[in-house]
Amino acid sequence: MISLQNVSKYYPTRFGPNYILKDLNIDIPDDRDIAILGRNGAGKTTLMRMIGGIDFPTRGRIVSDRFISWPLGIGSGFNGVMTGRENVRYVCRIHGVKDIKPVEEFVRDFSEIGENFDLPIGSYSSGMRMRYGFAVSMGFDFDTYLMDEIMAVGDADFKKKCSDTLKNKRETSNIILVSHNMDNIREHCNAAILLAYGRAEFYESVDQAIYRYMRS
Amino acid sequence: MQVRSAFAIQRDVIFAIFIREISSRFGNNYAFGNVWLLLEPLVLMTVFIILFGFRDIATLGNIAPPVFIVITYVPFRMLWSSTMKKAMGAAGARGLFGFRQIRLFDVFLAHALIEGGVYLTVKSIILTTLLWFGLDALPSDPLLFLGYAATLWLFAVFFGILACMVSRIAKEVEKIINIMTLPLLLMSAVIYPITVVPAQYRNFFSYNPLAHASELLREAWIEGYVSPIADFEYLATWTLVLMAMAMSAYRLNWRWVIAT
Repeated sequence: MISLQNVSKYYPTRFGPNYILKDLNIDIPDDRDIAILGRNGAGKTTLMRMIGGIDFPTRGRIVSDRFISWPLGIGSGFNGVMTGRENVRYVCRIHGVKDIKPVEEFVRDFSEIGENFDLPIGSYSSGMRMRYGFAVSMGFDFDTYLMDEIMAVGDADFKKKCSDTLKNKRETSNIILVSHNMDNIREHCNAAILLAYGRAEFYESVDQAIYRYMRS
Repeated sequence: MQVRSAFAIQRDVIFAIFIREISSRFGNNYAFGNVWLLLEPLVLMTVFIILFGFRDIATLGNIAPPVFIVITYVPFRMLWSSTMKKAMGAAGARGLFGFRQIRLFDVFLAHALIEGGVYLTVKSIILTTLLWFGLDALPSDPLLFLGYAATLWLFAVFFGILACMVSRIAKEVEKIINIMTLPLLLMSAVIYPITVVPAQYRNFFSYNPLAHASELLREAWIEGYVSPIADFEYLATWTLVLMAMAMSAYRLNWRWVIAT
């Protein structure tokens, strides 16, 4: 369970505190795949970053005993000067994975970027970077995967591969997905959180959430 | 995924940043690649030693001018300036904070370790070269010298952390500190011994903790030299006070410093 307790987040601006989220109380169950819905600026990405532990609530706390992935898809923590291989090693070291070789091989095969794997990430196209980032996160066994608009790029083949892998992963772990593509959400999620009017609401049914989102 | 203790996570993260920093600071854009990590300070030091070390400058005892410059200038430049600036700019490395395991303090620690390591390596290379040329370039009390150097290093680390925290409130702090680098070099008895300063002005110099560091390093290096101002307690007190302030500022502020 990922439990958000009285979570508020604001950024100080010259007009005073700009609240993104205010007093959120939500429990995210372990056995559901969650979509986060909301308009631009509703705080979807901020919420993702806070669940992913790379941003912090101004008030309140987020409690969880699960292994949560880094938020995929937003400007990630890779280093553009280092090669794909070096970045995989870097991520392995951070996560305490001692046996690096299999992960390297997995990412190389899964991302289908061939020789580019040994070239600096900065030289990748955005599609390649997305494939690479997705492949790296699939190389680790997290309990919860956070994904922010990651299925927006990539060709049809790769999208299909992503979908299949995600379906496999969902048997052992769950995902939290931010997307503006309702088909993606319907395909991968079975619960939703709607961020609107400065509040968050948990929906057991995705269709209901999408219905409300369209009219918010 | 495996459960690790907080200490194990920090150790892994520092090691990861260490490797990342070493392999990406100069990376693939430079013909000599990572060699520049050592080459850059080496070239800088060599230029400075040639500029000042082969002129008729005031030294102490029978210390040759190049050795005299090496004793204090290399620690000042590498342990103080570089270490402090690395710590001060650590929050700017936004790309590092994409993983929950990495906290700002790990970045501080990793940078401090890199700078300290580079200092030891570069200093050894320079000393070996000077010895090769037949100069007497060995400290009279190596352990004491290393101890003083370590204190200066800690002083720089905590000063840098504090500057990093304060610069969230006013970015100008970084500018002012950068401007102060050269005046500080001139005021800290780095390229001259404090004994060349007339006795009535030494009191003024002795407020500067860095002048104490320079003089202490000299005392440890030069046999029989007793500095008129050097006081380890003064430098240690500064370091401890800076540490307390840096730690509390960090504790209060770190979330804001890395906020996007």
